[in-house]
Amino acid sequence: MLEIKNLHASVDGKEILRGINLTVNAGEVHAIMGPNGAGKSTLSNVLAGRDGYEITQGEVIYKGENLLDFEPEERAQRGVFLAFQYPVEIPGVSNIYLLKAALNAVRKYQGLDELDAIDFLTLVRSKMELVKMDEQFLHRSVNEGFSGGEKKRNEILQMALLEPSLAILDETDSGLDIDALKIVSEGVNALRSQERSIIMITHYQRLLDYIVPDFVHVLSKGQIVKSGDKELAKELEKTGYSWVDEQPEGVSA
Amino acid sequence: MKQLSELATPFASVAEALIAAEGTAPWLKKLRQDALTHFKTFSLPAKKEEDWKYTSLWSLSQQAFSHHAESVEIAADQVDSVALLHDAYRVVIVDGVFSEELSDIDALQSGLSITALSESVDQLEHCLGQQTELTKAGLNALNTMLMSEGVVISIDSAIEIEKTIEIIVINTGNTANLATHLRHKIELAADAKATVIEHYVGLTPDSYFTDVVTEVNLAERARLTHYKLQQESNNAFHIATLATHQAQASHWLTNNISLGAKLARNDIHSQLLGEQSHVTMDGLYLVDGEQHVDNHTRIDHAVPNTTSDELYKGVLDGNSHAVFNGKVMVHKDAQKTDANQSNRNLLLSRGCEIDSKPEMEIYADDVKCGHGSAIGQLDQDQLFLLRARGLDEVSARSLLTYAFAVDVLTRIPNLSIREALAKVVEQRLPKTGEKA
Ligand SMILES: Nc1ncnc2c1ncn2[C@@H]1O[C@H](COP(=O)(O)OP(=O)(O)OP(=O)(O)O)[C@@H](O)[C@H]1O
Ligand SMILES: [Mg+2]
Repeated sequence: MLEIKNLHASVDGKEILRGINLTVNAGEVHAIMGPNGAGKSTLSNVLAGRDGYEITQGEVIYKGENLLDFEPEERAQRGVFLAFQYPVEIPGVSNIYLLKAALNAVRKYQGLDELDAIDFLTLVRSKMELVKMDEQFLHRSVNEGFSGGEKKRNEILQMALLEPSLAILDETDSGLDIDALKIVSEGVNALRSQERSIIMITHYQRLLDYIVPDFVHVLSKGQIVKSGDKELAKELEKTGYSWVDEQPEGVSA
Repeated sequence: MKQLSELATPFASVAEALIAAEGTAPWLKKLRQDALTHFKTFSLPAKKEEDWKYTSLWSLSQQAFSHHAESVEIAADQVDSVALLHDAYRVVIVDGVFSEELSDIDALQSGLSITALSESVDQLEHCLGQQTELTKAGLNALNTMLMSEGVVISIDSAIEIEKTIEIIVINTGNTANLATHLRHKIELAADAKATVIEHYVGLTPDSYFTDVVTEVNLAERARLTHYKLQQESNNAFHIATLATHQAQASHWLTNNISLGAKLARNDIHSQLLGEQSHVTMDGLYLVDGEQHVDNHTRIDHAVPNTTSDELYKGVLDGNSHAVFNGKVMVHKDAQKTDANQSNRNLLLSRGCEIDSKPEMEIYADDVKCGHGSAIGQLDQDQLFLLRARGLDEVSARSLLTYAFAVDVLTRIPNLSIREALAKVVEQRLPKTGEKA
């Protein structure tokens, strides 16, 4: 599904990703943990195609194609989905408009017709039920005035509707209360399948109780310094990241 | 450089001929003569005048306009295709001449009168020139000495007009470089209520000149909702004054949507002369290429307890230039005035230019006034979110542009008019755009 090879990325001449290697196969769930400022959001932005990053080395192969050659919308249409750490507010654009435009963009790429209004609404309603969002959110402007947790749920709603092949969830759990965490986890678990891969960025082991990962990686200073299974997350909970600095530089490069 | 007094069009001699014409009522002769005298002294305003600092009439002064419209016939379905509404009382002016066939004002609600200026001017002695002054900004003198057509609407007291009145002013391009001088008058008696649209359309890509003055008089508790949709040709000149007197507890909502013309200038003025009167003065301008739009607005809070709310938004692309100058005057005794003014601009290109100047002059001490102006570009985070959800860049930019403009539209109370205007605005959104 996804193969990241020796990926280096800089912002304004400052190297932030310093040789990432990561392979994610179809059906797998990978958790990425690591201290603040390690480069986790940078990695997800680079994968989603945000401007402003200079790729100085390495490549990313997604479904056999060179992902970095594509515009952000082309990646989205091919099934890459980023749930943002800080979802932006868009006053003046209603949620339902965005959902419809996004779904139609993906369907168009897949060679499918646009859904008619009734089918679309039926589909959206079923997805809203999944993340327990009230219908009034459809007619509000995207994320405008949403609480922190509501914004995160809105991201999961978009994901549930678009059914991506590769979902990258950047701290979707932070800011969620315990009930919301369960709801969001159920939303993500519902999407788990043999054809889909998920990369979850999180600071908390608790999320991994609900969405059990196949692999856990520690990202520090732009490199993956340790990988393991779900037990690694439990270990980190106890030890924190102080040991990271003792690792030799470039251990996984 | 030549002075603006050297005009390629002999406006003054056209006016002299009108004044000399047989059968012109003496009062109208005098009205035109006074305007002509004023015009001969002051000519077209030059850039050294404060109100015209950012807008040059040089290119207008160099155009040789015609004042003789050749007769032209256009099909009713052509008017249908440009009209904003299809269930309105329709008044159509083609190349400066009222068209009875194309208009739909035969069966008017009682208490409503709509006539063409050319047919009723003799009866307008104490009506024309009441809301405008020759010395005021704009081209009032030029318009007064040359006005030859327009729409006169009057509504009796306590009458509520259910249908919207749409004035459609069309330039067909049949007469090259035609100048038309229009004067509209809208008069609402006490407690009357109406909705009027002024709609300007160019069917030609060529140059022409629309000069219009609209005078509005609102008696006690009268309520007028007024829209102006300007879709002139991109080579046209459109210069307009809109002036309103508002009596006690009257309510005026005006929304000025400016999309076309090479050079468009609006001088919009409300005088709140009676207590509890209110004006909502909104506007939206979308310009690109070499277009220039200039909106000068003014609200006078002349008595206590009046309110105003003004929202002007602009979207600029290409090498366009927009000017916003909004003055709110709170006069000495106008206590408890509540005035709010805002001008926001979205710049889509590097080549465009905005001069925004909101102004408040306050001579009373117990007032609530706020104003602001903002200039920005498309938000890159918003753009990325939309693209990361699969929208291509052009659609994402145009969606965000629409989202920026939309609150001028959501303030429109009438749903069918709001939807019709939204459609027009959507069609006019930039379809391409360089990265800002
Ligand atoms: N546009 C930018 N300009 C300058 N520095 C940047 C930019 N984007 C990221 N950085 C820097 O890169 C580093 C990695 O940031 P990133 O957001 O990827 O961290 P993170 O691992 O997601 O952290 P957190 O856990 O706090 O979310 C930080 O030091 C950050 O300040
Ligand atoms: Mg982050």
